[in-house]
Amino acid sequence: MLGELRELWRYRELLLVMVQRDLKIRYKNSALGFLWSFLNPLLTVGVMTFVYTNFIFPDQPNMGAYIMAAYLPFMFFQQSIMDSSQSVVSSIPLIKKIYFPRELLPISAVISNFVNFLLALGIFFAYLMVNFFFHPGDFPIKGSVVLLPILLLISFVLSMGTSLIVSALNTFYEDVKYIVGILLYLLFFLCPIVIFDENVANSKINLSSNWLVYKLYNLNPIANLCTAYKKAILAPYDPKAMSPVGAAPDVVVQVGSIPLSYKYLGATAITSVLLLIVGYAIFNRLKWRFVERP
Amino acid sequence: MTGKGQIHIRNLHKSFALSTSGAGSIKTALLWWKRRSIKKVEVLRGISFEVNPGECVAVVGKNGAGKSTLLSLLARVYKPTSGQIEMKGRTAPLLELGAGFHPDLSGIENIFFNGVILGLTRQEMRDRSQAIIDFSEIGEHIHAPTRTYSSGMLARLGFSVAVHIDADILLVDEVLAVGDYDFERKCYANIDEFRSKGGTILFVSHQMDAVRRVADRCIWLKDGQIHRVGSPDQIIGEYEGRDPDPGLG
Repeated sequence: MLGELRELWRYRELLLVMVQRDLKIRYKNSALGFLWSFLNPLLTVGVMTFVYTNFIFPDQPNMGAYIMAAYLPFMFFQQSIMDSSQSVVSSIPLIKKIYFPRELLPISAVISNFVNFLLALGIFFAYLMVNFFFHPGDFPIKGSVVLLPILLLISFVLSMGTSLIVSALNTFYEDVKYIVGILLYLLFFLCPIVIFDENVANSKINLSSNWLVYKLYNLNPIANLCTAYKKAILAPYDPKAMSPVGAAPDVVVQVGSIPLSYKYLGATAITSVLLLIVGYAIFNRLKWRFVERP
Repeated sequence: MTGKGQIHIRNLHKSFALSTSGAGSIKTALLWWKRRSIKKVEVLRGISFEVNPGECVAVVGKNGAGKSTLLSLLARVYKPTSGQIEMKGRTAPLLELGAGFHPDLSGIENIFFNGVILGLTRQEMRDRSQAIIDFSEIGEHIHAPTRTYSSGMLARLGFSVAVHIDADILLVDEVLAVGDYDFERKCYANIDEFRSKGGTILFVSHQMDAVRRVADRCIWLKDGQIHRVGSPDQIIGEYEGRDPDPGLG
C-alpha cells in the first residue's frame, strides 16, 4: 500500500489538474455556472423550510439554518458518491489508452465536490450573518464552530472511502450505482436534516427500546455527522419548540437539548478511517481489472 | 534528454478473460455463477526482445497478433500475466492521439490536461503551450471547445502535444503522421529530429511505407509470438509475400 501511496504522490500535479477540469466542466455549458452549486440546496432548503415551519414545527425560529447546516454535508456525501460511481466507468476509454493511478478518478471527483461544499458553506455563513443583521438577537454562530475543520476532515474521509468502494464495484456491476442511488435517497430520511436528534431521543420507539434506536441512529456515520454540523455551528434550540404540531398535549419532553457527543463523533471518525483504508485496499485490488472487465 | 530510452522485455505473457455474456450485472453473476463461461485467451505467449537507446523498432503483424496488447503493456495500461518489462527513460505512450480530450473544453485547456497526463508538470506545460499551439497550426480556434474541431484538427493537436513532451521513448500505435500532406511532412521531420537526438521509438503499424521510412528493425508478431526479426526491407518483403488468408481472398 505504501508503494501505491508514493505513486499517488508522484501524480499530484495531475490530480490538481483533474480537479480543476472537473470544476470547469461541471457547469461549462450553463449560463449560471457555479451558482447552480448553491441554487440547488437553496431551493431545496427553501421549500423544506416553508413546509416545516408552516405545517410541522411552527415554533422553531431560524429553521432554515438548522436544515441547511445538515443538508450541505449530506449533499456533499451524496454528490461525491454519485459522481465517483460513474468516474471510472465513464473514463474506461481513457484508461485503456494511458496510464495514471486509476484512483485519481474517484479522488478528483470527491475533491471537486469538496470544493463546492466549502464554497456552499461559505455562502451559508454569509446567510447567517445577513440574517443576524436583519433579525438581531443571540449571535447565530457558536464558539464550537472551531470544530468545523475536524468535521470537514471526517466528512472528507468518509466520502472518500465510500466513493472508492462504490466506484470500483460499479465498474464491474453497474447495478451498484442504482442500488447506491436508492440507498442514498432512503438515507436522506434517516438523517437529521429536517428532524433533530432530540426528536429521535424523545420518540416513543426510542424510549420503549431503552435508547437502542437513538444509539443505532447515531452509529450511522452520515446521520451523526449531520447532527454534529448542526450542533457545532448553531446555537442550541429549545426542544419544546420541536414538538410537532398536533402532538398530544400530554407528550412529555424527556430530554432537553442534547449537546454534541464526542463519543459518537469519535465512533464516526473511526468508522470513516476504517472505510477509507478498506476502500483504498479494495480499489487497488480491483483497479488492474478495470480495463480488462469481461 | 534523450539517448537513454531503453526497453527490455523478457518472456512476456498476457492472457485475458473472455466472457460470452457481455456486460456484467449482479443478476447475471447470481444466476450464472455456477456455469460462468469465462475463457482465458492468451494474447501474448512468451515475448522477449530489447529496444536499444536511439533505436526505432516497428512491430508488424495481422489484426489480433497482439501488437496493440504489447504496446498497452509497455504503456502500463495492463499488467502482465507473467514476465518482465523494464523501461528506462521518460515514456510517452501514444496509443491514441489526444487521449482524454474533453469536447466541452477548449483546445488550450485540453492540451494542458493531455500534457500533464503524459507526465509533465503544470509549469512545464505553461512554458511550452505556445510552441504546441504553433506546431498544431490550429490558430485562433485554440480557444474554441474541441467539439467544434474537425477530426484532422484534433489529430494535429494531439500529435503536437505528443512531440513536445520531451520523451526518451515513444510508444506509437499507428500514428506517426497525421493531417494533410504538409503537416505529414512536418510530423516526419519531427520524428527524424527526435531520432537524431537519440530518441527511442517502438511503433506498431500497418503502413509499410511508414515502417520502411523510419524503422531500423522490424518485429513480426504472429499469434502472440515473435515470428521473425530483421531489417524492415527483409521482414516487409516476407510479410507482404506471405500466404494470403484464404477467407480474405
